[in-house]
Amino acid sequence: MDEELAIKVEHVSKKYCKSIKRSMWYGIKDITRNIVGLGSHSEKLRKDEFWAVNDVSFEVKKGEILGIIGPNGSGKTTLLKLLNGIFWPDKGKITIKGKVGALIEVGAGFHPMLTGRQNVYINGAILGMNKKEIDEKFDSIIKFADIGDFIDVPVKYYSSGMFIRLGFAVAVHRDPDILLVDEVLAVGDRNFQIKCFRKMHELKKTQDMSIVIVSHNEYVMREYCKTCIVLNKGKNIFYGESEAAISFYINNIVKEREIREQNKEAIHNKEIIKEISFIDSLGNIVQTIPTGEKLIIEFDYETKEKIRSPIFGISFYDYQGLFTGFWNSYENIKLPDIINKGKIRVTINNFDLPVGSYRYAVVVCEEEESNVLEWRDFEEKLIVERPQNTRGLLKLKQTWEVIK
Amino acid sequence: MTENLTIYEPDNALKKGYLNIFKEIGRDLKNNRWLTWQLFKRDFLAAYKQSFIGILWAFIIPLVSVGTFIILKQSGVFDYGSIAVAYPIYAVLGMAFWSLFSTGLIGCSNSLVRAGPTIVKINFSKKSLVIASIGQSLVSFLIQFILLCILFVIYGFIPNIAILLIIPLIIPILLLTLGLGFLVSILNGIIRDAGNLLSVLITFLMFLTPVLYEIPNVGILLQISMYNPVYYLISAPRELILSGTMSNWIGFMISSILSVVIFIFCLILFHLTETRVTERI
Repeated sequence: MDEELAIKVEHVSKKYCKSIKRSMWYGIKDITRNIVGLGSHSEKLRKDEFWAVNDVSFEVKKGEILGIIGPNGSGKTTLLKLLNGIFWPDKGKITIKGKVGALIEVGAGFHPMLTGRQNVYINGAILGMNKKEIDEKFDSIIKFADIGDFIDVPVKYYSSGMFIRLGFAVAVHRDPDILLVDEVLAVGDRNFQIKCFRKMHELKKTQDMSIVIVSHNEYVMREYCKTCIVLNKGKNIFYGESEAAISFYINNIVKEREIREQNKEAIHNKEIIKEISFIDSLGNIVQTIPTGEKLIIEFDYETKEKIRSPIFGISFYDYQGLFTGFWNSYENIKLPDIINKGKIRVTINNFDLPVGSYRYAVVVCEEEESNVLEWRDFEEKLIVERPQNTRGLLKLKQTWEVIK
Repeated sequence: MTENLTIYEPDNALKKGYLNIFKEIGRDLKNNRWLTWQLFKRDFLAAYKQSFIGILWAFIIPLVSVGTFIILKQSGVFDYGSIAVAYPIYAVLGMAFWSLFSTGLIGCSNSLVRAGPTIVKINFSKKSLVIASIGQSLVSFLIQFILLCILFVIYGFIPNIAILLIIPLIIPILLLTLGLGFLVSILNGIIRDAGNLLSVLITFLMFLTPVLYEIPNVGILLQISMYNPVYYLISAPRELILSGTMSNWIGFMISSILSVVIFIFCLILFHLTETRVTERI
């Protein structure tokens, strides 16, 4: 294998059986065949079997961080298990250079009756550390977990937070060459999450550790991963740079989520809005805009009945459905009565929404904000990009000057 | 950073050839000694921490079984044949060996299932799980052996010097237990019925194996027991310790060799098929 690579996955597939009873029977058959030295013909699909991972290939260089995104049931966890050696692929080949560690099951092997101290040794042993290693790192582990005197109390008296912190503390001290992470960083309070990320960074820098992260979280992927794969129904449908992968994922895969509606009552839901267009500073119609740039939004409407003093508004919701930004005409201008077809436009000089993908909803009211005529969710998205040479999620205008 | 390349392919273990398989198994066992010890310690501490009587259970159980059989004999329901020594000594020694086998085997059959949620997420030596589960039955054996020594004192009976060979004498039955344990742990991991079937069979087997009574001179039981390796592995050491002779030493030898063969075969089987369990458990 190439010197630079830590992981090489070549055309790997894994099948599962839907029916439990059949799965047992297949298990016995496969075992028997293996014993007598015959292969198990794993490339063929038997009745009730399906491919959970289907012909996936990718590489991870030393020191690289790879993200795996995909909807639930796309095979992400199975792929991670294959990398971890829990079971073997049914087709293809996986080559791994170095020690593999996983931040997957926190507190593996913990027994509630034993103290934290005893459990550190058990957990460490299960994760592959030897006595000497644990002895050396023991103090650092305890300090990281931050549970104080409770270390000598049986684990069954720990709060779930303490349990997780201790489990994590051990896992994070394993110093593997390759780290597999499975969305587990969603647990623990914020301080703790920050601690974990920081430790991972430290490990990465000092030891050139390669990391594979499975996540649903766009922000995590953007921040940490240079390259991403997108999985859907077991297949690898995109493999490339993170930003592109995330856009691909959002545009093609993400099923529409319910947007929390604020004024569900009193909506008459007439069909007034015909189309929404986003236009950039050059006059082009776009689906993507860099954060902080000028954005023009045009509302194409058509109404048979006259609407007096209409109010137009647009709200933006991020990938989690969080209500993020809102522009509406009421605070700025009193619009004249409208009838038949027409266009309303708002110019936003600095579209300061953070980098991400946004769904939007448009509202039309008559005379007052409480008198809602139409509230419409749109299925398309506006993607806010990170401009060149920008750090973080916003590019805010600033003027620097010397005062004294 | 070590230059260790790990490769995963379909039917992984097979591709490497038998010599490599032996090397891998050896390396696996050698590298995980401390893990095995930790797993054993965990189960041991946990079991005894939760119980008030704790370690004393290991005394109580054989006494209850033996006591029951003495009552049955008294009532004429059961005849254990002609035994040269006091029945309690005969029975406890036999039971000690038998429960090493039976509880060891049942413990092994559950070892992978119990650790199910963990083995699906973390890759660690599953052989260690199985071996560690035997540890419990070894501890029980030790305690029953102590009970035996107490009985020796009570009855004023001096055992043959062969008692010093107790450790080599239990090795064959231990290997048989561990070997079958590897096999059953895999089967039970895939089909839960295997564990249930095993419990039923073990109970049956205890009655049908001449452990608590002398082997009869005629009949079906004689025929079966002549081919039952467990019978030889229990009765031969017992005879040696109690009377200094081993009338069935050929049977004992053959059973011992069989045990070694079963052990090696099942260890290899386990090594080749352990991932089938993690796929399904």
